[in-house]
Amino acid sequence: MLQLKNLLLRNRFSVLLATLTVYLLVLVVEGAITGREARVVDFENPFFDLTMRDFQDFRDARIEDNESDFSSADPDVL
Amino acid sequence: MKNIVEARNLEKHYGDFKALDGVDLSIPPGSISGLIGPNGAGKTTTLKALIGLCDVEGELTVAGKDPRDARHKLMEEVCFIADVGILPKWLRGNQLIDYVEAVHPRFDRARAEKFLSTTEIPPRKRIKELSKGMVTQLHLAIVMAIDVQLLVLDEPTLGLDIIYRKEFYDRLLNDFYDGNRTIIISTHQVEEIETLLSHLIFINKGKIVLDAQMAELETLYTEVIVEPEHLAAADALNPIYIRDLLGKKAYTYEAVPRAQLEPFGETGTPSVADLFVAKMKEGKHE
Amino acid sequence: MNSLALNQFLALLYREVLENRNLFIGAPAVLAVLLFVFTAWIVSMAPEQELATAIEYLSVIFDGLSPVDMASIFMIPAIPFMMMLYFCGLIYLLNALYQDRKDMSVFFWQSMPVSNAKTVLSKVVTIGLVAPVFYVAILFVVYLIAVLWLTLLGFSYGVQVAGLGYMFLAAVASLALVYLSAFVTSLWLLPSVGWLLLFSAFAKRTPILWAAGVFILIGFLEDFIFGSQYLANWVESRSNPNQYFIYEFSDVTDRLLSYDMLFGVLVGSILLIGAIFMRRFID
Repeated sequence: MLQLKNLLLRNRFSVLLATLTVYLLVLVVEGAITGREARVVDFENPFFDLTMRDFQDFRDARIEDNESDFSSADPDVL
Repeated sequence: MKNIVEARNLEKHYGDFKALDGVDLSIPPGSISGLIGPNGAGKTTTLKALIGLCDVEGELTVAGKDPRDARHKLMEEVCFIADVGILPKWLRGNQLIDYVEAVHPRFDRARAEKFLSTTEIPPRKRIKELSKGMVTQLHLAIVMAIDVQLLVLDEPTLGLDIIYRKEFYDRLLNDFYDGNRTIIISTHQVEEIETLLSHLIFINKGKIVLDAQMAELETLYTEVIVEPEHLAAADALNPIYIRDLLGKKAYTYEAVPRAQLEPFGETGTPSVADLFVAKMKEGKHE
Repeated sequence: MNSLALNQFLALLYREVLENRNLFIGAPAVLAVLLFVFTAWIVSMAPEQELATAIEYLSVIFDGLSPVDMASIFMIPAIPFMMMLYFCGLIYLLNALYQDRKDMSVFFWQSMPVSNAKTVLSKVVTIGLVAPVFYVAILFVVYLIAVLWLTLLGFSYGVQVAGLGYMFLAAVASLALVYLSAFVTSLWLLPSVGWLLLFSAFAKRTPILWAAGVFILIGFLEDFIFGSQYLANWVESRSNPNQYFIYEFSDVTDRLLSYDMLFGVLVGSILLIGAIFMRRFID
């Protein structure tokens, strides 16, 4: 046990090798058990396109109310 | 009492280069030891090994612990100053003191501040704006305020002018050393510290070439200014070093009784500097 | 944890902030100033009527609505700050166990009675919990100034601005989402954090080349020798940027307690333990 410890802690390369070995072993074993593929865990942002569309409607309503003429450029909302 | 440092057969390789080649050390508590050697002799490697900053092979115990496994525990008992300029440059003096106060259980803030008030170091300046001498003073102020058994100094006065150097060693003796604490100093400037040492250790090419108490030097080594008619007889006793001295020759002997040498001429104890040169040359002949 | 250990740890975190104030405070502050300059430029270009309508619109859509429900919208202006945080985090982690070795101050740090485990852990806590505090604080100032500005503009145009108060509360609530995003991401990417710290502790120079090079090499060898792509798949499964942002408070517990998260923390810890042992070699 002590010899193993001395071997692993001999120099920076042995520590790197030992760490990466354990790391890859765990990854591969877990990958094999769970059948992991490129599983992209995706999270949607529900609010992303809401604001711009609403602003268009809001502005169009205003234009009708005021019967005024606007230039076509969209200002930044936020 | 047990030795504070016990090292057996320390080895350290950098590729093919042997930085330490079987170093043995026994340093008793309360001593002031000088570890002296030329550049690249293994001084820094030895000192760093003692405090767990450098992995070595061999048996090593410092203050009852193996520094390789318990560096952070050991550092409660040991302080270390490496060659100047290793304090983090982006930190301010007062922030440094805050840090040490928080992490070191044996640090006495008032003592450090009292020490600093005797210097001209502006406490709020960044360390990179301080001169080399001030950085060393600041480091010394911190180390002096930590109540430790062992202080390890690696070329502490390298690059400092004579005034700072002298003050550094004065403070060390007067404010830090109390007879119980142990100090290990490495340097290649022998003359400057020889008066403070109680132990002398020479190291060359990763090997210890001399390990003696200062008091023993007198009985171990003799220097004779040999009269011309005795040169042949003097040569026969295997001097370890011969140097020219105002037209005469000074012979240095190891372990030859002084009484046996007295007939050759005036005898005395060689200075540490001469002994150092003698010991370094000795290695070359082999 | 006794009081010495706690004080030690707080001092370590304080050290990280002092040493990396440019990454944690300077960078987002510069970004905020640039954003203001850019916005002021846009506003100065927009016709007054359009601007007045926009302010009124903002006021109307936030008016009376729960700030917690509306907080998600403010993840959009936070995106550049969070990208900055993640980018600075990358630089920070690559240097965290390398910079002090390079400038030799490591001999001072290691001469203090602080364990390697505590040192490495302080870097992880800094990136996951401490650095985001500064980004959130700067975003708070940005939102405060922006709302005051919009309110004044709105007054000067004579439009209704009462809802801007609700908007500000929603912006403040979003700061919690920003902070949670940063924290959850630091755990989600703990394998990357561990990888970077391992090579930061390992490399004698240019940790980034070692970190990237060894990674590419292992991936290539895996494909070449075994014909599998576990490593590539593993990375791909964590590389969608949407994973790094939390848009709703209710997501937090689901994400923290998911199998993928816990497994990532496990393998990340393996690399962190490697980094702790690597810290023995500082010369």
